[in-house]
Amino acid sequence: MSKNTRDAKFRAIDVDKYDENNYIDEETEDVQSGPNESEVIKHLNAARNEEALKLVLTNPPLATKNQAIKDKCFQLVMRVLTSFRTSDMDSAIKTLDQQKIDTLMKYIYRGFETPSEKTCSLLLAWHERAVAAGGLGSIMRVLTDRKHV
Amino acid sequence: MATTLRPYLTAVRHTLTAALCLENFSSQVVERHNKPEVEVRTSKELLLTPVYISRNEKERVLIEGSVNALRISIAVKQADDLEKILCHKFMRFMMMRAENFFILRRKPIEGYDISFLVTNFHTEQMYKHKLVDFIINFMEEIDKEISDMKIAVNSRARFSAEEFLKRF
Amino acid sequence: MPETHQFGAIAIYTHSWNSNRSSLALSSSSNIVDLYKVSGANYQKVNVLSAHTQSVTGIDWAPKSNRIVTCSADRNAYVWTQLKDGSWKNTMVILRINRAATCVKWSPQEDKFAVGSGAKAVSVCYFDSSNDWWVSKHIKKPIRSTVTCLDWHPNNILLAAGSSDFKARVFSAYVKDVEEKPGQTIWGTKMPFGNLMAELSSGGGGWVHDVCFSGNGDCLAWVGHDSSLSVVNANSLSNIVTFKTSYLPFYSCVWVSLNRLVAAGYNCEPMLFEFNGKNIKLVKKYDTKEETGGDNVISKVTIHTGTKEQCKKFSTTGLDGMITVWDIDAK
Repeated sequence: MSKNTRDAKFRAIDVDKYDENNYIDEETEDVQSGPNESEVIKHLNAARNEEALKLVLTNPPLATKNQAIKDKCFQLVMRVLTSFRTSDMDSAIKTLDQQKIDTLMKYIYRGFETPSEKTCSLLLAWHERAVAAGGLGSIMRVLTDRKHV
Repeated sequence: MATTLRPYLTAVRHTLTAALCLENFSSQVVERHNKPEVEVRTSKELLLTPVYISRNEKERVLIEGSVNALRISIAVKQADDLEKILCHKFMRFMMMRAENFFILRRKPIEGYDISFLVTNFHTEQMYKHKLVDFIINFMEEIDKEISDMKIAVNSRARFSAEEFLKRF
Repeated sequence: MPETHQFGAIAIYTHSWNSNRSSLALSSSSNIVDLYKVSGANYQKVNVLSAHTQSVTGIDWAPKSNRIVTCSADRNAYVWTQLKDGSWKNTMVILRINRAATCVKWSPQEDKFAVGSGAKAVSVCYFDSSNDWWVSKHIKKPIRSTVTCLDWHPNNILLAAGSSDFKARVFSAYVKDVEEKPGQTIWGTKMPFGNLMAELSSGGGGWVHDVCFSGNGDCLAWVGHDSSLSVVNANSLSNIVTFKTSYLPFYSCVWVSLNRLVAAGYNCEPMLFEFNGKNIKLVKKYDTKEETGGDNVISKVTIHTGTKEQCKKFSTTGLDGMITVWDIDAK
């Protein structure tokens, strides 16, 4: 073989990446959104967990590119979710509409990405109830949605 | 701890059923080819968001979906060195015979102990709910198998040590 | 009770009836199309269309001219005409695509047909009599991924295409070689070939599995992998009504009246929906009464008896090798 066939540096270029016809996710406006944090904390402190849950699932930061905002919202959601006892989850889920259940599912799966002993069992309990309420369709939307929490 | 097993397996079952909605899809990149998109990963729009389901920090499952194939990777509980070795050997035994399992992947994904690859051809030829049953059953049995093996190893070690020391 | 027939342990990808429903064409993952003669519950294989070298992904049987068009993962399409002795002869189609063909549909007047493909384009084909073959024009922009499904508007000009880039689009497929300039419709006034009349999405993500124009062409419905069913009326294109279901995704849909559609797919049971302009509601589910396991994933729904404006029966084929003919009013 000639000498230059050993040089595989050209293989580092992935030509398919430069194809103009490739799909690219839409560039959407960087909208700063998210639930009202102080309101949520007020509800939590007053032990109005169900209100806190409804509020924290409203206006999720799906459109923003700012990861810090998404992380902060996520932490807030986890705080609300872990404030529930398993026996209270059923009645809380009943107050949520289809959109909020989809959002809840997204947060549950995000919660699984950073597991800890106490959060996992609660998240699994939430998952069971969210599927009962939202069906497999709500899981489909977590898998297919291009925007993440 | 045992109380999280049922919800964990149920969550995996539901997620698998959702992610196993596969269809025949010819490659957009190579003409006349049909490849599992979750493996080639050249077209972003054909991939689903990867999801994790965790029972605790050590035991979790990663499910990566795409239009025509699904990859599920399992991280098995390994409490001590002996379990680590047993798990590794057991998984290796199965992965070397991957073609007999059809849906087993020869190499696990980085960070996991074993991976399955299910394509639309598998779901066309085999019952989807049975494929899900198989994977869930597999996850349940693995823990039992490893602890059985551990007990067997320990009792054999004790027995051979006794026999050896009887001489003295 | 729905009439069912089991074709064996094959996964049926698609099916198409002839105009009086006495014959059925279907394909699975093999390279041939099976033709059956159908009388009542009796299905008898009478012919085999064999020319493709890879799986046949689309079949459409033109009701008036009785021609069958097939397309395949082998990047080819053929138009089949039946000879006097009952056998079928194929004519080549110059598709000019370099990826698999995924779906095919005759236009309402059967002088054109459209083929979707993994080349991220739609080939609109018409007959070139001087060479005795079918030639094509391509619609490419702005499609960014495989075209998965197609449906024609009743005016023979407009074409809806769904894609794995999550969008359903309406294009003009006006070919001046075969037809007169079209009059305007509520979808738009200017219709040069390839013009994008509308680009629609359900908002979330999810590959579009099927698109369907309503009988009069005013509404377009599509189903996506995000378990949604969406409908839009061309009179207000910004008002897309999406119904997000709790079921597994639908794979195929068809209008059965001016405001009702049937959708079916991974959930195995066909469902009837009603669109009233503002929202979509589930009217009923057609019970499969099958042993669950839900493995009769439905790959295609077509109208059996009637039209898109007034359907009496519809048929579904599935990955379990079964065909079922349903009565629209079944309990």
